[in-house]
Amino acid sequence: MSLVTALLATVLLVLSPIEVALAQSRLDYPARAGAPGETLVINGALDTPLIAPLLEDFHHRNPDLALRYNNLTTLAIYRDFLDDDATPRPDVVLSSAMPWQYRLANDGHAQPLASEAARRWPAWARWRHELFAFTFEPVVIVYRRELAERFGAVTSHADLVDLLTGHRRALRGRVVTYDPATSGAGYTYAIEEARLSPRYWELVNALGGVDTVLAGTTRDMLEGLADGRYLIGYNLLGSYARDFVREHPELEIAVPDDYALVTQRLAFIPRDAPHPMAARRFLDYLLGEAGQRAISELTTLGAIHPALDGPGTANALRQRLGDALRPIRIGPGLLATLDRLKREALLTRWTREFQRGTIAADTRDETSP
Amino acid sequence: MKATDSLYRRLILWLLLPLLGLGALMLMQAYRSAHDAADRAFDRLLEAASLAIAEQVKWQDKQLWLDLPPAALEMLATDAEERVFYALYDNHGRFITGNADLPAVPGGADTLRFADTHWHGMTLRVGVRPARLDSWSQRERFEVRVAHTREGRDQLTWSLFTGSAGRIALMALLAIAVVLLAIRIALAPLTRLRRAIRHRDPRTLAPLDLPLPRELAELRETLNELLARMRRVRANQERFIGDASHQLRTPLAGLSARAELALRQPDPASWRSALETIQASSARTARLAVQLLSLTRLNNPEATPVTSMLDLVAVARNATRDAFAACHRAGIALELDAPDDAIPLTGIDWQLEEALNNLIDNARRYGARHITVRVQAAPPRLQVEDDGPGIPTERRRLMLRPFHRGAETGEGSGLGLAIVDSIARGHGARLTLDEGRHGPGLCVSMTFQGDRA
Repeated sequence: MSLVTALLATVLLVLSPIEVALAQSRLDYPARAGAPGETLVINGALDTPLIAPLLEDFHHRNPDLALRYNNLTTLAIYRDFLDDDATPRPDVVLSSAMPWQYRLANDGHAQPLASEAARRWPAWARWRHELFAFTFEPVVIVYRRELAERFGAVTSHADLVDLLTGHRRALRGRVVTYDPATSGAGYTYAIEEARLSPRYWELVNALGGVDTVLAGTTRDMLEGLADGRYLIGYNLLGSYARDFVREHPELEIAVPDDYALVTQRLAFIPRDAPHPMAARRFLDYLLGEAGQRAISELTTLGAIHPALDGPGTANALRQRLGDALRPIRIGPGLLATLDRLKREALLTRWTREFQRGTIAADTRDETSP
Repeated sequence: MKATDSLYRRLILWLLLPLLGLGALMLMQAYRSAHDAADRAFDRLLEAASLAIAEQVKWQDKQLWLDLPPAALEMLATDAEERVFYALYDNHGRFITGNADLPAVPGGADTLRFADTHWHGMTLRVGVRPARLDSWSQRERFEVRVAHTREGRDQLTWSLFTGSAGRIALMALLAIAVVLLAIRIALAPLTRLRRAIRHRDPRTLAPLDLPLPRELAELRETLNELLARMRRVRANQERFIGDASHQLRTPLAGLSARAELALRQPDPASWRSALETIQASSARTARLAVQLLSLTRLNNPEATPVTSMLDLVAVARNATRDAFAACHRAGIALELDAPDDAIPLTGIDWQLEEALNNLIDNARRYGARHITVRVQAAPPRLQVEDDGPGIPTERRRLMLRPFHRGAETGEGSGLGLAIVDSIARGHGARLTLDEGRHGPGLCVSMTFQGDRA
């Protein structure tokens, strides 16, 4: 749209990015001439190409509002939010860092939304009418076609463990996954998977056995897969991968059919939002059928709205995978994810299991010629 | 008393008001107990969650270590989606880990403690579990604090409360219905009594006869006593009227007969004697009529004559003076025995003079030779004593009745003492008939009640 003026701000490498958001950037949509000058400020951790179609659609429907979208890392969103001096205060906060969003809402920083759309929102995708999940993004496995040709397709975690243990030498150094120690997303997935199944540690063990490369972002992994450094990537964010794989036919996506984590982006209106009315309009759009349709058709984020069931919706994914989909529960369990000791405990165990796999593989390599 | 005042209304008011008060108390009590029950139920969650956390506390790397079980936190959030907080504190109250610096709850060192606290604008229920490590080498104490907001408790409280409020309302409705019914039943005899009175023949004074509960039976008896008194009064009145008409008819018939007899005789001398007789008789009849009228007037309960301050000595002096001439003519000695000082009294002077006149007159007519009018100061008393034949003790009360003469031979009307009695009663005085001080004779005393002036 001609109104769009996307400003690319300073590029900032962040210490612990949870997402591919490498760039801190900004999108501005001015209000229609003559409209009262209210500017809706949205702080989000969603790359500008993904969110731009949504914002354009919203702006097209609400031309009287000026929009400002600040693309930040999830960590920056959290820190800025708690820093009272950070200005301007956001009217809407969108982030995929579910534990942090939950913690902010749990501490009473969000205001409830009592609109029709909010009331009809499925209970599993919201918390207290304060925190709303508006996307549905499975965590996936991406591999190069040549891997499938050599060893067969990978469609489940069990397949993956078999592949990793069965073809250790061929795969050594060619597998990539999130580093739970440096990536918030990787850590969140690890903790959820450890809860889901005790066999997760077998998988970590196996990942260690092939000297899996640990990456910080989905984008790093995708790029490594595209240029052939890696054969298979585990636990990539589906919404980013779908876009990327469309342009890279040598890659293939697999949503594991035994269980697939689903992460969701959470939105809330801060209690001290300067423009709560505008914020409610935006959230109503995001949770309404129009916004959700835009999500399913214009983005790869996955729409949740129960009335939608075309491609790119949670309903379509459910029909295909059924009970295997495990959306991360929006509940107090997320608080445990943020616990300092819990984190240390999990990372210690993760590292131990990972290294045990490496050592075991090394000794086996030595004994078998 | 208001015009709308009614027994029914009073009963309803005084039964329903306490009932309402009681209902309000019960509602308050129901709310309290619902609140407590909800707290007890939800405190179990705090208990379980804090236990689940405490069990995961270990000693590692020379410090307290916690592998927080997410389920423990999820336990704290029910369908009401409470906000959840937890924290681990060491022996010295230092914060080890958690998502909130929760306030301590004072209390025993080894017991689980619960408290409502305000924290950052929220009302939290905090559960504090003191515990200690149970390993071989480490016996470190620590404290697990968990908390959640009150939404679930409030919902449970409300649903428990509405449940019992419904039952209380039902009971209140039943109680009100029973009270209304009971009042109606209890007041039914009153309606019966009213109907019985309304449907009576207005002329009858017959006693009421209908079965009534005890309290109303007392009313019925009182009413019947009043009716009986009215019957007696009416009987007295009827007898008085009969007597009076008889008393008036007899001398009038005598007059008529005497005049007729005289007219038949041609002798003017006999006319004269007849006229003298007629004159005497008519004078007596006129006196009788005057006395009848005065008695009727005295006995009229509607009449309230004006009282004034008077001097008893002056009253006695006037009466003595009036009667002196008549007594002197009849050769009777009339004497006044009174103190020099005035004796003040509230009363009607002409009535008291009338009473004295009647007493002197009576004494004169019934053959006294010496009459003493005596006035005494303390208590105020008027006394007329004569030396006549007197009245036997057993007949003295009867003498107070109208037309009851002391001796059939006397020429009195039989009203004198009745009039005196009426006057005495009108003045609240006691009338006593005694024997004379010196042998036979009669001493009539009117003793007034103390100095009321």
